Amino acid sequence: MANTNKMIFAMVVGILYVVFGILKMLEGFGIETGLAESLLIPGDFFGGFCFVVIGAVFLYAVKELSAGVHMGVSYVYVGILMSLVFMAVYLLVMGADLLMFYAVKSEDYEGWRIIDSMRPGIYLGLLSLIGYFYWKDRFTTEMTKV
Amino acid sequence: MEKKKITIALAGNPNVGKTTLFNAITGARQHVGNWPGVTVEKKTGKRTYKDTEIEVVDLPGTYSLTAYSIDEVVARDYVVEEKPDVVVQIVDATNLERNLYLTTQLMELGSRVVIALNMWDLAESRGDEIDTRKMEDFLEIPVVKTVANRAEGIDALLEEVVREADKGEHHEHEVSYGDDIEKKIIELEKIVGKDSALSGKYPVRWLSVKLLDGDENILEKIEGSSVATQVNSVLSTIKKEDYEAAMAEKRYETINTVLPQVCVKCIKGVTFSDMIDRAVTNKYLGIPIFLAMMWAAFEVTFTVATPLMEFVDMFFGWLAGVVAGSITNPVLGSLLGDGIVAGVGAVMIFLPNILLLFLMISLLEDSGYMARAAFVMDKLMYKIGLNGRSFIPLLMGFGCNVPAIMATRTIEDEKDRLVTILVNPFISCGARLPVYLMLAGAFFGRQAGSVIFGIYILGIIVAILSAKLIRGTVLKGKPSPFIMELPPYRLPTLKASAIHMWEKGSIYLKKAGTIILAGVVFVWLLSAIPAPGVDAAFASEEILGTEDSLIGVLGHIIEPLVAPLGFDWKVAVALVFGFIAKEIVIGSMGVLYGTGEDEDALAEILTAGAMNPLTALGLMVFTLLYVPCIACVGVVKKETGSWKWTLFMVAYGTTLAWIAAFLIYRIGTAIGWGL
Repeated sequence: MANTNKMIFAMVVGILYVVFGILKMLEGFGIETGLAESLLIPGDFFGGFCFVVIGAVFLYAVKELSAGVHMGVSYVYVGILMSLVFMAVYLLVMGADLLMFYAVKSEDYEGWRIIDSMRPGIYLGLLSLIGYFYWKDRFTTEMTKV
Repeated sequence: MEKKKITIALAGNPNVGKTTLFNAITGARQHVGNWPGVTVEKKTGKRTYKDTEIEVVDLPGTYSLTAYSIDEVVARDYVVEEKPDVVVQIVDATNLERNLYLTTQLMELGSRVVIALNMWDLAESRGDEIDTRKMEDFLEIPVVKTVANRAEGIDALLEEVVREADKGEHHEHEVSYGDDIEKKIIELEKIVGKDSALSGKYPVRWLSVKLLDGDENILEKIEGSSVATQVNSVLSTIKKEDYEAAMAEKRYETINTVLPQVCVKCIKGVTFSDMIDRAVTNKYLGIPIFLAMMWAAFEVTFTVATPLMEFVDMFFGWLAGVVAGSITNPVLGSLLGDGIVAGVGAVMIFLPNILLLFLMISLLEDSGYMARAAFVMDKLMYKIGLNGRSFIPLLMGFGCNVPAIMATRTIEDEKDRLVTILVNPFISCGARLPVYLMLAGAFFGRQAGSVIFGIYILGIIVAILSAKLIRGTVLKGKPSPFIMELPPYRLPTLKASAIHMWEKGSIYLKKAGTIILAGVVFVWLLSAIPAPGVDAAFASEEILGTEDSLIGVLGHIIEPLVAPLGFDWKVAVALVFGFIAKEIVIGSMGVLYGTGEDEDALAEILTAGAMNPLTALGLMVFTLLYVPCIACVGVVKKETGSWKWTLFMVAYGTTLAWIAAFLIYRIGTAIGWGL
C-alpha cells in the first residue's frame, strides 16, 4: 500500500515534469505552445531537458515499483531531491530578480512583478516538498521492513 | 582444426562450492598432486567447450590474498606468476559481503575475472534480490549465476570465460584507498617501477598496495631488489598497522557501497546514501542526472550573480569617477582610468560568477556526488580511451586548467595522463567565462544561460572527441584500471564549501592584481603610443585605442588571419592578449572600443554593428578552443616535460578554434541565421 501511494505520486509528478520539460524545450526552440503565459513557462531548452530528466527519474520509479522492485522507491526519493534542488535554484533566481528590482533598480526590471519570476520549477517543487515531508524517514524504514 | 587452449583458475573462499564446481566443469578428467614446494593439494582438470580446450586449475580456498597463510601465497603466486587466461571466482550468493573482499583483491592483481555467483538458488529462496547486471557494472566483471551441485549455469559460465579470454581489451575497476594512502601508493609505484625485473613480473600498483599492507612475502621479494633502500625509506614514514587497518576498511567501504546497489535484502538496513546511489549510478539515468545537476550549478552561477555583478560594476564606475575627478595629469589619469580601472574593473566584475561557480563545484564535491559522477562517467571515459580517473582533472578544468593539469599526477598510466593533459584546455575554465557572459548577455538575452551552457558542453564534446582521436592514433593503448571511490554522502556545510570556494576564488583575485593588471597596462601602453608617422601626443584622446596607435598597427597586421571568421582588428588584438590571461580579452576590448569598464557600453557598441550574433558565437567558440593562457601552456610543458607535446596542444587547439569559428560564421551567414 505504502508503495502504491508512492507509485501514484511518482507517476503524476513524473508526467507533469516531462510535459512541462517538453513545453520548455519547445518554447526554447521558438515553437509557441500557447501555454507559456498561463503556465509561466519560459523558453529554455536546457532547463526543459533537466525537467525531462527529473520526470524520467520519477517514471523509472513507477517502472521498478510496478515490477515489484522495492528499491524502486529510491527513484521517488531522488526525484523529490532533484526537484527540490531545482526549486531552490529558481527561488534563488527570484531572489536575484528582487535585488535587481529593489537594490540595483535596473532599467530592464521596470514594472517587474514577483509573478514574472515564478517558474514551474517552483510550483511543481511544492508537490515534491509535500511528498518529502509526508514520507521523509519512512523512505528508509519502510525499505528495511520489506 | 586445432582447438584453442586456455587456462582458467578457480578461486574463492572456503566452502563456497569450489570443488563441486570444479567437478561439474571437469567431470572425470582430473589430476591431483601438490603445489611445488608445499604440501597443499593441487587439482587440475580439463574440459573442452565448443572449440576451446580449457585447463582448469583449482586454487586453495582463501578469504583474501594477503600472505597470512600458505594457501593465500600459493593462490596469488599462481595468479600473478602463471597468469591464467581467466580467474573464475566462485562467490557464495548468500554471503556477498565476505566473498567480495577477495574480489577486490583479485581486481588489484589485474587478472581477467569472471564471477560464478554460486548457490544462487539458496539466495533466491530466502528472498535475496541480486541484480547481476548492476554487479557487472560496478565491478566491471562478468557475473554468471550457477548452482554447482546441480551443474546449473556451467555452460553459461564457460561461455563467459571463453568470451573474456578472447576479449581484446580488459577494463578494470579497483578500490581507492583515499588521498593519503593513494599518494603513498603512487610514490611507491614510481620507485618499484624502476626495478624492471619486479615490475615485469608483478602489477606495480598491487606491489605498492601490498607493501603498504605490510605483506611479509612481498617485503621479502623487495629486499633483494635494487630499490629496497628507497622502498624502506618510504615505508619507514608510515605506521604499518594503521595502514593495514585503514586499507582493509577502505575495501569494506567500497563493498558496502556496492552491496546495497546489487542486493537489497543482503543487507540489514537501507540508508539514504544507498537510495541516492541507486538512482545516480543508474545505467541510463546516471549521465542525464549529472548533466541536470551541472546545469543547475551553471544557472545559479550565471543568473544569481547578476545583481552582485551590478554592485561590482557600480563600485568601479564610482572609482573611475573619483580617478577622473581627482587626477589632473592627463597621461596618469588615462593610465589609471582607461587602463587600470577599466581593464581590472572589466575583469573584477566577473568575480561573483567565479566565486559562485567554485561554490557550486565545492558543494557538489563536498556532498560526495562528484565521486559518483566520476564512477558514472567511467564507462564513457573508457570508451573514449581514457581512465575514469581522468574525469576529476577534467572536471577541475571548469575552475582552472592549471591545477586541473597538475591533478593529472594521480593518473598512473603515462598515456592516460598525457591524453588528459592535452585535452584539458578544452574544458572551459572560469577565466573564459567573462567573455561568454559579456557576449551571450549582449547578443542572446534570456537565452544567455543556455548558450553558455552549450559552449561548456561543446568544450566537453571537443575534449572527448580529441581524446578518442589521440588515443586511436598517436597514443595507442589500453586505459589503466579505474580506482573506485564512493565515499558516503554528507550534507555539505556552507562553511567548508565557502572555504574551498575562497581557496580557489582567491587565485582569480591574485591574478587580477598581478598578471591581469600587468596585461591591461601593457595593452593600454600599446594603445597609447602613436603609430609610426602619426603626429599625436602619447595617450592623447585622438589615438587612444584607435588605428593610429601602435596596437592598431599590430591589429591590422594580424587582422587577415581572423578576417575570414568575421572578426575585426580589435578582436584580433584582444585574442592575442588573451594569451596572457583569458580575462584580458574583455578588458582589452573595453580599452580598444573605448568603453572602459562599462560592460553595458561595450555591449551596446558591439550590438550596434561591431559584431553580430554569429561573430559573437564564433568568438565564444574561438575563446573556448584556442591556445590556453600562458600559465596553462607553462604547466603543460612542465607536466609533459616535452616541448613537442606542448606545441602540439597549442597548434591543435588553435587550428580547431579557427575551423570552428570559420564554420559558424560561414554556414550561419549562408543560411542567414542571426543576421
